[in-house]
Amino acid sequence: MKKSVLFLLVALFALVAFAAEEVTVEEPVLITSGGQSPGALQMMVLAKGAKIDYVFEKNVTADYETLGDFNTIIIVAGASSKGLGAAGIDIDTEIERLTALVAAAKEKGLKIVLAQIEGATRRGSSSDLVIDVLIDSCDLMLIKEDADNDGKFTALSEEHNIKMLTFSKTSDARGLLTELFGH
Amino acid sequence: MKKISLIITIICISTLLFGAYFYPDIRPGYGVTETGWLSDYFEPLRGTNLDTPLYIMEGEEEGATFLLMGGTHAREIGASMSAVTFIENAVVKVGRVIVIPFTNRSAASVNDTSTDQERLIRIDSKSGPRFIVYGDRRTDPVDQGEADPEVFVHYPSGMELEEGAEARNLNRNYPGKADGNGTQQLAYAIIQLIKQENVDFNLDMHESDTPRVVKMADGTDYYGGRLAYMLVCHTRGLEMGAFTVMMMEDNGIPMKLEESNVDYRGLSHREIGDNTDCISFLSESPNPGQDRNPEQKDVITDPEFPIEHRVGMHLNLINDLCETWNMFSDKQIMIENLPTHDELMENGLGNYLN
Repeated sequence: MKKSVLFLLVALFALVAFAAEEVTVEEPVLITSGGQSPGALQMMVLAKGAKIDYVFEKNVTADYETLGDFNTIIIVAGASSKGLGAAGIDIDTEIERLTALVAAAKEKGLKIVLAQIEGATRRGSSSDLVIDVLIDSCDLMLIKEDADNDGKFTALSEEHNIKMLTFSKTSDARGLLTELFGH
Repeated sequence: MKKISLIITIICISTLLFGAYFYPDIRPGYGVTETGWLSDYFEPLRGTNLDTPLYIMEGEEEGATFLLMGGTHAREIGASMSAVTFIENAVVKVGRVIVIPFTNRSAASVNDTSTDQERLIRIDSKSGPRFIVYGDRRTDPVDQGEADPEVFVHYPSGMELEEGAEARNLNRNYPGKADGNGTQQLAYAIIQLIKQENVDFNLDMHESDTPRVVKMADGTDYYGGRLAYMLVCHTRGLEMGAFTVMMMEDNGIPMKLEESNVDYRGLSHREIGDNTDCISFLSESPNPGQDRNPEQKDVITDPEFPIEHRVGMHLNLINDLCETWNMFSDKQIMIENLPTHDELMENGLGNYLN
Protein backbone atom coordinates (compact mmCIF):
# COMPACT_ATOMS: atom_id res chain seq x y z
CA MET A 1 0.00 0.00 0.00
CA LYS A 2 2.79 2.36 1.03
CA LYS A 3 4.60 1.51 -2.17
CA SER A 4 1.56 2.40 -4.25
CA VAL A 5 1.15 5.74 -2.49
CA LEU A 6 4.83 6.49 -2.98
CA PHE A 7 4.59 5.58 -6.67
CA LEU A 8 1.58 7.85 -7.11
CA LEU A 9 3.36 10.73 -5.37
CA VAL A 10 6.42 10.30 -7.59
CA ALA A 11 4.23 10.15 -10.69
CA LEU A 12 2.33 13.27 -9.59
CA PHE A 13 5.61 15.11 -8.92
CA ALA A 14 6.90 14.14 -12.38
CA LEU A 15 3.69 15.33 -13.98
CA VAL A 16 3.91 18.71 -12.25
CA ALA A 17 7.65 19.08 -12.89
CA PHE A 18 7.49 18.28 -16.58
CA ALA A 19 4.06 19.59 -17.50
CA ALA A 20 4.21 22.19 -20.22
CA GLU A 21 3.90 25.77 -19.09
CA GLU A 22 0.49 27.36 -19.09
CA VAL A 23 0.41 30.20 -21.57
CA THR A 24 -1.96 33.11 -21.75
CA VAL A 25 -2.41 34.68 -25.14
CA GLU A 26 -4.05 38.02 -25.78
CA GLU A 27 -5.35 40.09 -28.66
CA PRO A 28 -4.60 41.80 -30.95
CA VAL A 29 -3.22 38.92 -33.00
CA LEU A 30 -1.00 38.96 -36.05
CA ILE A 31 -1.52 35.93 -38.32
CA THR A 32 1.16 35.01 -40.81
CA SER A 33 2.35 32.08 -42.87
CA GLY A 34 5.33 29.86 -42.24
CA GLY A 35 5.96 28.29 -45.63
CA GLN A 36 3.32 30.05 -47.77
CA SER A 37 0.71 27.29 -47.76
CA PRO A 38 -2.95 28.35 -47.74
CA GLY A 39 -3.17 27.24 -44.09
CA ALA A 40 -2.52 30.80 -42.93
CA LEU A 41 -5.57 31.94 -44.84
CA GLN A 42 -7.61 29.16 -43.25
CA MET A 43 -6.41 30.40 -39.86
CA MET A 44 -7.57 33.89 -40.82
CA VAL A 45 -11.00 32.49 -41.67
CA LEU A 46 -11.08 30.66 -38.31
CA ALA A 47 -10.01 33.80 -36.44
CA LYS A 48 -12.72 35.77 -38.17
CA GLY A 49 -15.25 33.11 -37.14
CA ALA A 50 -13.96 33.23 -33.55
CA LYS A 51 -14.38 37.03 -33.61
CA ILE A 52 -10.76 37.62 -32.70
CA ASP A 53 -9.12 41.00 -33.16
CA TYR A 54 -6.57 40.03 -35.80
CA VAL A 55 -4.53 41.26 -38.75
CA PHE A 56 -3.57 38.86 -41.53
CA GLU A 57 -0.22 39.51 -43.22
CA LYS A 58 0.96 36.48 -45.13
CA ASN A 59 4.52 37.69 -45.63
CA VAL A 60 5.11 39.91 -42.62
CA THR A 61 8.77 40.68 -41.98
CA ALA A 62 10.80 41.50 -38.87
CA ASP A 63 10.72 45.22 -39.65
CA TYR A 64 6.91 45.30 -39.83
CA GLU A 65 6.11 48.76 -38.56
CA THR A 66 3.39 47.86 -36.07
CA LEU A 67 4.75 44.50 -34.92
CA GLY A 68 5.04 45.83 -31.37
CA ASP A 69 1.34 46.69 -31.26
CA PHE A 70 0.37 43.01 -31.24
CA ASN A 71 0.31 40.76 -28.21
CA THR A 72 0.35 37.47 -30.09
CA ILE A 73 1.62 36.21 -33.41
CA ILE A 74 0.22 33.00 -34.91
CA ILE A 75 2.52 31.43 -37.47
CA VAL A 76 0.83 28.75 -39.53
CA ALA A 77 3.45 26.21 -40.55
CA GLY A 78 3.11 24.54 -43.92
CA ALA A 79 5.39 24.70 -46.94
CA SER A 80 3.83 24.95 -50.36
CA SER A 81 5.89 25.11 -53.54
CA LYS A 82 2.97 26.86 -55.28
CA GLY A 83 2.71 29.39 -52.45
CA LEU A 84 6.45 29.98 -52.34
CA GLY A 85 6.43 30.37 -56.12
CA ALA A 86 3.52 32.81 -55.94
CA ALA A 87 5.48 34.87 -53.39
CA GLY A 88 8.55 34.71 -55.64
CA ILE A 89 10.75 33.13 -52.97
CA ASP A 90 12.29 29.77 -52.13
CA ILE A 91 12.22 27.86 -48.84
CA ASP A 92 15.62 29.24 -47.78
CA THR A 93 14.40 32.84 -48.13
CA GLU A 94 11.26 31.89 -46.21
CA ILE A 95 13.33 30.39 -43.39
CA GLU A 96 15.42 33.59 -43.23
CA ARG A 97 12.24 35.70 -42.98
CA LEU A 98 10.81 33.50 -40.22
CA THR A 99 14.04 33.41 -38.23
CA ALA A 100 14.25 37.20 -38.21
CA LEU A 101 10.51 37.55 -37.56
CA VAL A 102 10.39 35.36 -34.46
CA ALA A 103 13.50 37.06 -33.09
CA ALA A 104 11.86 40.48 -33.51
CA ALA A 105 8.55 39.23 -32.10
CA LYS A 106 10.30 37.78 -29.06
CA GLU A 107 12.17 41.02 -28.50
CA LYS A 108 8.92 43.00 -28.60
CA GLY A 109 7.30 40.64 -26.12
CA LEU A 110 4.78 38.93 -28.39
CA LYS A 111 3.57 35.44 -27.54
CA ILE A 112 4.40 33.13 -30.43
CA VAL A 113 1.92 30.44 -31.42
CA LEU A 114 2.97 27.75 -33.87
CA ALA A 115 -0.04 26.32 -35.67
CA GLN A 116 -0.34 23.35 -38.02
CA ILE A 117 -3.92 23.23 -39.23
CA GLU A 118 -3.64 21.40 -42.56
CA GLY A 119 -2.87 17.99 -41.12
CA ALA A 120 -0.81 15.10 -42.46
CA THR A 121 -1.05 16.23 -46.07
CA ARG A 122 0.98 19.33 -45.21
CA ARG A 123 3.90 17.48 -43.66
CA GLY A 124 7.14 16.96 -45.50
CA SER A 125 10.78 17.97 -45.40
CA SER A 126 10.21 21.67 -46.17
CA SER A 127 7.30 21.97 -43.72
CA ASP A 128 9.38 20.22 -41.05
CA LEU A 129 12.20 22.68 -41.68
CA VAL A 130 9.82 25.52 -40.87
CA ILE A 131 8.64 23.78 -37.71
CA ASP A 132 12.20 23.15 -36.55
CA VAL A 133 13.10 26.81 -37.04
CA LEU A 134 10.09 28.06 -35.07
CA ILE A 135 10.01 25.60 -32.22
CA ASP A 136 12.72 27.24 -30.11
CA SER A 137 10.85 30.52 -29.93
CA CYS A 138 7.28 29.37 -29.66
CA ASP A 139 5.11 29.55 -26.54
CA LEU A 140 2.18 27.42 -27.62
CA MET A 141 1.34 24.91 -30.34
CA LEU A 142 -2.03 24.39 -32.03
CA ILE A 143 -1.77 21.13 -33.95
CA LYS A 144 -4.22 19.18 -36.06
CA GLU A 145 -4.17 15.61 -34.76
CA ASP A 146 -3.20 13.82 -37.95
CA ALA A 147 -0.25 16.16 -38.44
CA ASP A 148 1.19 14.41 -35.39
CA ASN A 149 0.74 10.88 -36.75
CA ASP A 150 4.49 10.32 -36.48
CA GLY A 151 4.66 11.86 -33.01
CA LYS A 152 6.90 14.75 -34.06
CA PHE A 153 4.83 17.45 -32.38
CA THR A 154 4.33 15.42 -29.20
CA ALA A 155 8.09 14.91 -29.02
CA LEU A 156 8.77 18.61 -29.59
CA SER A 157 6.19 19.58 -26.98
CA GLU A 158 7.87 17.37 -24.39
CA GLU A 159 11.41 18.24 -25.37
CA HIS A 160 10.85 22.00 -25.36
CA ASN A 161 8.24 22.04 -22.58
CA ILE A 162 5.70 23.75 -24.82
CA LYS A 163 1.99 23.32 -24.35
CA MET A 164 0.33 21.63 -27.31
CA LEU A 165 -3.39 21.84 -28.00
CA THR A 166 -4.77 19.45 -30.59
CA PHE A 167 -7.94 19.27 -32.62
CA SER A 168 -9.40 16.71 -34.97
CA LYS A 169 -10.90 18.77 -37.79
CA THR A 170 -9.62 22.09 -39.04
CA SER A 171 -12.91 23.78 -38.22
CA ASP A 172 -12.53 22.60 -34.59
CA ALA A 173 -9.63 25.03 -34.23
CA ARG A 174 -12.17 27.86 -34.17
CA GLY A 175 -13.48 26.62 -30.81
CA LEU A 176 -9.92 26.44 -29.50
CA LEU A 177 -9.26 30.03 -30.56
CA THR A 178 -12.48 31.14 -28.90
CA GLU A 179 -11.40 29.50 -25.63
CA LEU A 180 -7.81 30.73 -25.84
CA PHE A 181 -8.77 34.33 -26.36
CA GLY A 182 -11.61 34.23 -23.86
CA HIS A 183 -14.54 34.94 -26.16
CA MET B 1 -21.11 -6.47 -100.98
CA LYS B 2 -19.27 -3.89 -103.04
CA LYS B 3 -21.69 -1.23 -101.79
CA ILE B 4 -21.03 -2.13 -98.12
CA SER B 5 -17.27 -1.98 -98.69
CA LEU B 6 -17.69 1.40 -100.33
CA ILE B 7 -19.76 2.74 -97.39
CA ILE B 8 -17.22 1.44 -94.86
CA THR B 9 -14.40 3.01 -96.87
CA ILE B 10 -16.23 6.35 -96.97
CA ILE B 11 -16.86 6.25 -93.20
CA CYS B 12 -13.19 5.44 -92.53
CA ILE B 13 -11.95 8.23 -94.80
CA SER B 14 -14.44 10.72 -93.25
CA THR B 15 -13.27 9.79 -89.75
CA LEU B 16 -9.66 10.28 -90.73
CA LEU B 17 -10.37 13.59 -92.40
CA PHE B 18 -12.86 15.07 -89.96
CA GLY B 19 -12.15 13.32 -86.65
CA ALA B 20 -14.32 10.88 -84.72
CA TYR B 21 -17.81 12.02 -83.85
CA PHE B 22 -19.25 11.91 -80.36
CA TYR B 23 -22.62 13.19 -79.24
CA PRO B 24 -23.01 12.93 -75.48
CA ASP B 25 -25.92 10.99 -74.02
CA ILE B 26 -27.45 13.42 -71.57
CA ARG B 27 -31.05 13.21 -70.42
CA PRO B 28 -31.87 16.51 -68.72
CA GLY B 29 -34.04 16.63 -65.61
CA TYR B 30 -36.60 19.25 -64.58
CA GLY B 31 -33.91 21.77 -63.67
CA VAL B 32 -32.74 22.45 -67.23
CA THR B 33 -34.45 25.57 -68.55
CA GLU B 34 -32.52 26.06 -71.79
CA THR B 35 -29.90 24.30 -73.86
CA GLY B 36 -27.30 25.77 -76.18
CA TRP B 37 -23.90 25.26 -77.73
CA LEU B 38 -20.54 26.74 -76.95
CA SER B 39 -20.49 28.06 -80.52
CA ASP B 40 -23.31 30.44 -79.50
CA TYR B 41 -20.47 32.44 -77.93
CA PHE B 42 -17.82 31.88 -80.62
CA GLU B 43 -19.23 31.08 -84.03
CA PRO B 44 -16.11 29.49 -85.62
CA LEU B 45 -16.62 26.40 -83.42
CA ARG B 46 -19.99 25.64 -85.01
CA GLY B 47 -20.02 22.39 -86.95
CA THR B 48 -16.69 21.21 -85.52
CA ASN B 49 -16.02 18.42 -83.01
CA LEU B 50 -14.89 21.11 -80.58
CA ASP B 51 -18.34 22.63 -80.30
CA THR B 52 -20.08 21.22 -77.24
CA PRO B 53 -23.57 21.31 -75.76
CA LEU B 54 -24.28 23.34 -72.65
CA TYR B 55 -27.20 23.31 -70.26
CA ILE B 56 -28.64 26.37 -68.58
CA MET B 57 -30.47 25.90 -65.29
CA GLU B 58 -32.16 29.10 -64.23
CA GLY B 59 -33.82 29.64 -60.87
CA GLU B 60 -37.12 31.39 -60.18
CA GLU B 61 -35.21 34.24 -58.53
CA GLU B 62 -32.27 36.16 -59.98
CA GLY B 63 -28.92 35.66 -58.35
CA ALA B 64 -25.35 34.59 -59.04
CA THR B 65 -24.21 32.73 -62.17
CA PHE B 66 -22.11 29.62 -61.64
CA LEU B 67 -20.34 27.75 -64.47
CA LEU B 68 -19.78 24.03 -63.89
CA MET B 69 -17.38 22.23 -66.21
CA GLY B 70 -16.76 18.51 -66.61
CA GLY B 71 -14.81 16.65 -69.27
CA THR B 72 -11.99 19.13 -69.76
CA HIS B 73 -9.93 15.93 -69.75
CA ALA B 74 -12.28 13.33 -71.16
CA ARG B 75 -10.74 10.35 -69.34
CA GLU B 76 -11.59 11.97 -66.00
CA ILE B 77 -15.02 10.40 -65.88
CA GLY B 78 -15.71 11.32 -62.25
CA ALA B 79 -15.81 14.91 -63.48
CA SER B 80 -17.96 14.44 -66.58
CA MET B 81 -20.37 12.15 -64.74
CA SER B 82 -20.71 14.70 -61.93
CA ALA B 83 -21.80 17.25 -64.52
CA VAL B 84 -24.21 14.75 -66.12
CA THR B 85 -25.67 13.84 -62.71
CA PHE B 86 -26.08 17.53 -61.94
CA ILE B 87 -27.97 18.16 -65.22
CA GLU B 88 -30.23 15.15 -64.71
CA ASN B 89 -31.13 15.86 -61.07
CA ALA B 90 -30.46 19.37 -59.76
CA VAL B 91 -33.04 22.13 -59.69
CA VAL B 92 -31.79 25.69 -59.30
CA LYS B 93 -34.08 27.81 -57.15
CA VAL B 94 -32.06 31.03 -56.97
CA GLY B 95 -29.44 32.19 -59.47
CA ARG B 96 -28.30 30.34 -62.55
CA VAL B 97 -26.00 27.42 -63.31
CA ILE B 98 -24.49 26.81 -66.74
CA VAL B 99 -23.16 23.27 -67.14
CA ILE B 100 -20.76 22.04 -69.82
CA PRO B 101 -20.52 18.29 -69.19
CA PHE B 102 -18.04 17.47 -71.97
CA THR B 103 -15.98 20.60 -72.22
CA ASN B 104 -13.55 19.05 -74.69
CA ARG B 105 -15.96 16.98 -76.80
CA SER B 106 -13.23 16.17 -79.30
CA ALA B 107 -11.18 14.49 -76.53
CA ALA B 108 -14.26 12.41 -75.62
CA SER B 109 -14.52 11.17 -79.20
CA VAL B 110 -11.28 9.14 -79.05
CA ASN B 111 -9.76 6.45 -76.83
CA ASP B 112 -7.48 7.30 -73.93
CA THR B 113 -4.04 7.24 -75.50
CA SER B 114 -2.21 6.58 -72.22
CA THR B 115 -4.03 3.36 -71.24
CA ASP B 116 -5.99 0.56 -72.82
CA GLN B 117 -9.21 1.44 -71.00
CA GLU B 118 -12.32 0.61 -72.96
CA ARG B 119 -13.98 3.78 -74.23
CA LEU B 120 -17.62 2.94 -73.52
CA ILE B 121 -18.30 1.55 -70.05
CA ARG B 122 -21.78 0.22 -69.36
CA ILE B 123 -23.72 1.45 -66.34
CA ASP B 124 -27.29 0.50 -65.49
CA SER B 125 -29.46 3.58 -65.13
CA LYS B 126 -33.12 4.06 -64.23
CA SER B 127 -33.95 3.59 -67.93
CA GLY B 128 -31.67 0.63 -68.54
CA PRO B 129 -28.11 0.46 -69.84
CA ARG B 130 -26.14 3.63 -70.55
CA PHE B 131 -22.49 4.19 -71.33
CA ILE B 132 -19.88 6.25 -69.55
CA VAL B 133 -17.43 7.64 -72.09
CA TYR B 134 -13.75 7.23 -71.23
CA GLY B 135 -11.96 9.54 -73.67
CA ASP B 136 -8.52 11.04 -73.93
CA ARG B 137 -6.83 13.83 -72.01
CA ARG B 138 -6.32 15.88 -75.14
CA THR B 139 -8.08 17.05 -78.27
CA ASP B 140 -8.19 14.54 -81.13
CA PRO B 141 -5.19 15.51 -83.36
CA VAL B 142 -7.56 15.58 -86.34
CA ASP B 143 -9.59 18.38 -84.73
CA GLN B 144 -6.54 20.45 -83.84
CA GLY B 145 -5.99 21.67 -87.40
CA GLU B 146 -2.21 21.52 -87.10
CA ALA B 147 0.50 19.07 -86.06
CA ASP B 148 1.83 19.10 -82.51
CA PRO B 149 4.84 21.37 -82.11
CA GLU B 150 8.09 20.00 -80.71
CA VAL B 151 7.77 22.29 -77.72
CA PHE B 152 4.46 23.67 -76.48
CA VAL B 153 4.48 27.45 -76.21
CA HIS B 154 1.57 28.94 -74.27
CA TYR B 155 -0.23 31.86 -75.84
CA PRO B 156 0.08 34.68 -74.90
CA SER B 157 2.62 34.25 -72.06
CA GLY B 158 5.27 32.37 -74.06
CA MET B 159 5.70 29.82 -71.25
CA GLU B 160 7.18 26.63 -72.68
CA LEU B 161 6.48 22.98 -71.87
CA GLU B 162 8.69 20.19 -73.17
CA GLU B 163 5.84 18.02 -74.40
CA GLY B 164 4.52 19.43 -77.66
CA ALA B 165 1.27 17.44 -77.39
CA GLU B 166 0.23 19.75 -74.55
CA ALA B 167 -0.83 22.07 -77.37
CA ARG B 168 -3.94 19.83 -77.44
CA ASN B 169 -4.51 19.99 -73.67
CA LEU B 170 -7.38 22.42 -73.06
CA ASN B 171 -6.18 23.07 -69.53
CA ARG B 172 -2.89 24.47 -70.76
CA ASN B 173 -4.39 26.79 -73.35
CA TYR B 174 -6.46 29.40 -71.52
CA PRO B 175 -7.23 32.21 -72.25
CA GLY B 176 -7.09 30.87 -75.78
CA LYS B 177 -6.78 32.56 -79.13
CA ALA B 178 -9.56 33.49 -81.57
CA ASP B 179 -7.54 32.62 -84.67
CA GLY B 180 -5.49 29.86 -83.06
CA ASN B 181 -5.56 26.08 -83.37
CA GLY B 182 -8.60 24.02 -82.34
CA THR B 183 -7.77 23.81 -78.63
CA GLN B 184 -6.87 27.49 -78.41
CA GLN B 185 -10.20 28.36 -80.03
CA LEU B 186 -12.03 26.10 -77.56
CA ALA B 187 -10.38 27.88 -74.61
CA TYR B 188 -11.17 31.24 -76.21
CA ALA B 189 -14.84 30.26 -76.63
CA ILE B 190 -15.12 29.38 -72.91
CA ILE B 191 -13.67 32.75 -71.96
CA GLN B 192 -16.24 34.44 -74.27
CA LEU B 193 -19.07 32.51 -72.60
CA ILE B 194 -17.86 33.58 -69.15
CA LYS B 195 -17.66 37.21 -70.21
CA GLN B 196 -20.96 37.33 -72.10
CA GLU B 197 -22.92 35.53 -69.38
CA ASN B 198 -21.23 37.48 -66.55
CA VAL B 199 -20.28 34.26 -64.76
CA ASP B 200 -19.50 34.99 -61.10
CA PHE B 201 -17.63 31.81 -60.24
CA ASN B 202 -16.78 28.51 -61.88
CA LEU B 203 -15.62 25.02 -61.00
CA ASP B 204 -13.56 23.02 -63.51
CA MET B 205 -13.82 19.41 -62.29
CA HIS B 206 -10.93 17.00 -62.83
CA GLU B 207 -9.48 13.68 -61.71
CA SER B 208 -5.94 12.63 -60.83
CA ASP B 209 -4.21 9.42 -59.80
CA THR B 210 -5.16 7.92 -56.43
CA PRO B 211 -3.32 8.30 -53.12
CA ARG B 212 -1.90 4.78 -53.25
CA VAL B 213 1.59 3.39 -53.39
CA VAL B 214 1.91 1.92 -56.86
CA LYS B 215 4.44 -0.74 -57.81
CA MET B 216 6.07 0.35 -61.06
CA ALA B 217 7.25 -1.99 -63.85
CA ASP B 218 10.87 -1.53 -62.69
CA GLY B 219 9.95 -2.62 -59.16
CA THR B 220 10.10 0.83 -57.57
CA ASP B 221 7.30 2.33 -55.49
CA TYR B 222 5.47 5.40 -56.71
CA TYR B 223 3.53 7.44 -54.17
CA GLY B 224 0.49 8.72 -56.03
CA GLY B 225 -2.30 11.12 -55.28
CA ARG B 226 -0.49 14.41 -54.87
CA LEU B 227 -3.38 16.17 -56.57
CA ALA B 228 -6.26 14.00 -55.39
CA TYR B 229 -8.83 15.68 -53.12
CA MET B 230 -7.45 19.08 -53.98
CA LEU B 231 -9.30 22.33 -54.47
CA VAL B 232 -7.19 24.84 -56.38
CA CYS B 233 -8.34 28.43 -56.08
CA HIS B 234 -7.54 31.54 -58.00
CA THR B 235 -6.05 34.11 -55.63
CA ARG B 236 -9.37 35.98 -55.48
CA GLY B 237 -11.09 32.78 -54.39
CA LEU B 238 -8.71 31.64 -51.67
CA GLU B 239 -10.81 32.79 -48.74
CA MET B 240 -13.86 31.11 -50.25
CA GLY B 241 -11.75 28.00 -50.81
CA ALA B 242 -10.59 28.02 -47.18
CA PHE B 243 -14.21 28.01 -46.00
CA THR B 244 -15.23 25.37 -48.50
CA VAL B 245 -12.55 22.81 -47.61
CA MET B 246 -13.45 23.15 -43.94
CA MET B 247 -17.10 22.46 -44.79
CA MET B 248 -16.03 19.46 -46.85
CA GLU B 249 -14.01 18.10 -43.95
CA ASP B 250 -16.93 18.64 -41.57
CA ASN B 251 -19.05 16.61 -43.97
CA GLY B 252 -16.57 13.74 -44.06
CA ILE B 253 -14.45 14.40 -47.16
CA PRO B 254 -11.25 16.31 -46.27
CA MET B 255 -9.74 18.22 -49.16
CA LYS B 256 -6.47 20.05 -49.65
CA LEU B 257 -6.49 23.73 -50.44
CA GLU B 258 -4.02 25.13 -52.95
CA GLU B 259 -3.50 28.56 -54.41
CA SER B 260 -3.26 28.79 -58.18
CA ASN B 261 0.36 29.20 -59.25
CA VAL B 262 0.96 32.60 -60.83
CA ASP B 263 3.90 31.37 -62.89
CA TYR B 264 2.33 28.29 -64.48
CA ARG B 265 0.22 29.63 -67.29
CA GLY B 266 -2.71 28.31 -69.27
CA LEU B 267 -4.63 26.61 -66.46
CA SER B 268 -8.31 27.41 -66.00
CA HIS B 269 -7.96 28.35 -62.31
CA ARG B 270 -5.30 30.91 -63.20
CA GLU B 271 -6.36 32.32 -66.56
CA ILE B 272 -10.14 32.49 -66.09
CA GLY B 273 -9.56 34.41 -62.86
CA ASP B 274 -6.96 36.67 -64.47
CA ASN B 275 -8.81 37.35 -67.72
CA THR B 276 -12.41 37.69 -66.53
CA ASP B 277 -14.31 38.81 -63.42
CA CYS B 278 -15.14 35.16 -62.67
CA ILE B 279 -13.57 33.59 -59.56
CA SER B 280 -12.14 30.29 -60.71
CA PHE B 281 -11.76 26.96 -58.92
CA LEU B 282 -10.54 23.51 -59.96
CA SER B 283 -11.16 20.24 -58.15
CA GLU B 284 -9.57 16.79 -58.34
CA SER B 285 -11.04 13.42 -57.38
CA PRO B 286 -8.99 10.17 -57.40
CA ASN B 287 -9.41 7.99 -60.52
CA PRO B 288 -7.75 4.52 -60.36
CA GLY B 289 -7.48 4.63 -64.17
CA GLN B 290 -4.87 7.34 -63.83
CA ASP B 291 -2.57 5.41 -61.50
CA ARG B 292 0.88 4.96 -62.97
CA ASN B 293 1.14 1.21 -63.21
CA PRO B 294 0.23 0.12 -66.69
CA GLU B 295 -2.47 -2.55 -66.39
CA GLN B 296 -6.18 -1.81 -66.87
CA LYS B 297 -7.89 -0.61 -63.72
CA ASP B 298 -11.45 -0.79 -62.49
CA VAL B 299 -12.51 2.79 -62.98
CA ILE B 300 -16.12 2.17 -61.87
CA THR B 301 -16.23 -0.22 -58.91
CA ASP B 302 -12.76 0.10 -57.38
CA PRO B 303 -13.40 -0.69 -53.68
CA GLU B 304 -11.60 2.41 -52.42
CA PHE B 305 -12.43 4.91 -55.13
CA PRO B 306 -15.67 3.87 -56.86
CA ILE B 307 -17.35 6.24 -59.29
CA GLU B 308 -20.03 7.01 -56.67
CA HIS B 309 -17.38 8.28 -54.25
CA ARG B 310 -15.80 10.50 -56.90
CA VAL B 311 -19.07 11.91 -58.22
CA GLY B 312 -20.27 12.32 -54.62
CA MET B 313 -17.13 14.24 -53.72
CA HIS B 314 -17.70 16.67 -56.57
CA LEU B 315 -21.41 17.10 -55.87
CA ASN B 316 -20.75 17.76 -52.18
CA LEU B 317 -18.08 20.24 -53.23
CA ILE B 318 -20.49 22.05 -55.57
CA ASN B 319 -22.99 22.31 -52.74
CA ASP B 320 -20.41 23.60 -50.24
CA LEU B 321 -18.87 26.01 -52.75
CA CYS B 322 -22.29 27.51 -53.45
CA GLU B 323 -23.05 27.77 -49.73
CA THR B 324 -19.72 29.53 -49.24
CA TRP B 325 -20.46 31.84 -52.16
CA ASN B 326 -23.67 32.86 -50.41
CA MET B 327 -21.66 33.86 -47.32
CA PHE B 328 -19.46 36.13 -49.42
CA SER B 329 -21.88 37.65 -51.90
CA ASP B 330 -25.22 39.45 -52.03
CA LYS B 331 -25.99 37.63 -55.28
CA GLN B 332 -27.23 34.29 -54.00
CA ILE B 333 -27.39 30.83 -55.50
CA MET B 334 -29.56 27.98 -54.29
CA ILE B 335 -29.63 24.46 -55.69
CA GLU B 336 -31.99 21.66 -54.69
CA ASN B 337 -32.29 17.95 -55.40
CA LEU B 338 -28.58 17.35 -55.79
CA PRO B 339 -27.67 13.83 -54.62
CA THR B 340 -25.19 13.76 -51.76
CA HIS B 341 -22.06 11.63 -51.50
CA ASP B 342 -23.73 9.36 -48.96
CA GLU B 343 -26.84 8.92 -51.11
CA LEU B 344 -24.73 8.01 -54.13
CA MET B 345 -22.70 5.51 -52.10
CA GLU B 346 -25.88 3.94 -50.78
CA ASN B 347 -27.98 3.87 -53.95
CA GLY B 348 -25.42 3.75 -56.76
CA LEU B 349 -24.82 6.27 -59.53
CA GLY B 350 -27.19 4.53 -61.92
CA ASN B 351 -30.13 5.40 -59.69
CA TYR B 352 -29.48 9.08 -60.38
CA LEU B 353 -29.18 8.74 -64.16
CA ASN B 354 -32.37 9.06 -66.23
